[in-house]
Amino acid sequence: MASDEELIGRVGVGDQDALAELCRRYEKPLFHFLARHTGGRDVEDLYQETWLRAVRAAPRFDPSRRFSTWMFQIAVNLCRDWHRRPPPEPVEADPNLASTSAAPEARIDARRILTALPEAQRTVLLLRHYHGLSEEETAEILGCPRGTVKSRLHAARERLGQLMGSA
Amino acid sequence: MTDCQDVLTALLLGEADTTALVHVRTCARCRAEEAAMHALAAQLAADTGPTPPPSLAPRVLAAAAPLLARNARRAAWRTTWPAVARALAAALLPLPAILVFDVALVRAIYALLGAVLPHGLSLYLVVNHAALLVLLLSLTYGAVPVLAARQARLLLQDGHHHG
Repeated sequence: MASDEELIGRVGVGDQDALAELCRRYEKPLFHFLARHTGGRDVEDLYQETWLRAVRAAPRFDPSRRFSTWMFQIAVNLCRDWHRRPPPEPVEADPNLASTSAAPEARIDARRILTALPEAQRTVLLLRHYHGLSEEETAEILGCPRGTVKSRLHAARERLGQLMGSA
Repeated sequence: MTDCQDVLTALLLGEADTTALVHVRTCARCRAEEAAMHALAAQLAADTGPTPPPSLAPRVLAAAAPLLARNARRAAWRTTWPAVARALAAALLPLPAILVFDVALVRAIYALLGAVLPHGLSLYLVVNHAALLVLLLSLTYGAVPVLAARQARLLLQDGHHHG
């Protein structure tokens, strides 16, 4: 089976099957990341734009890098841009985004407390908690030192603790 | 010494190792917050994430099709340009000799015509001839990269079919 890095290399020379396979592999992780980051708003548009940016940049992909780190970097940059836009309305759970969670109230609570975190802390928590990325990989994605990842994660944990305590 | 911040974060992420767990048993602060960290981790884990709509993947592939086509064109160019450069270099090599020969030919024709025809008519005929030569040379050299790229692509396709 071809590695992610081989597949993105083939996307760089116009292979549609390679793109379809990458989309299949990363559909859920990427969609979940974007949904949790934006609180469920504009997820499909951001998802599509992430892939389009990946296809555009594929010819310049450095094969010594991990594809997942590279793709999340694109997604994080898109989310940053998205958060700079003025919010259209207060965050509400999107009923169209059906979750497989057994407890819908837990899902909404998790999403609500995540959206209450500052964007930088939320990004770190999502990458470390939900996507199992290491401190080093998270630092590479965010383009910051490992210490910053650590301190943001500590801050996110403390803030979440406060939120849970007040819930 | 184990840092309480690191231990509590490790508990939240489910990454607590033996050292961290030993620390929790001996540290009052971490012990007090341990249950809260587990509850928080469970709360976060309960959100398994939304299901992507089935129409999303085809939509992305359709939107990416023009970009993939552009990537393919650029990749083809990256493969063929050395062949084009070689062909152009080979074609440009005899150009100075061709130009010297053409200039000499035009001069000879002008001298010959000047002997039998009026000056103005000779000049008119020679300028026409020179213009025709310039046009033919331009067309020839313009066709070299086009034909070389086409031939390189055909060879590449042939290689892929046989490979």
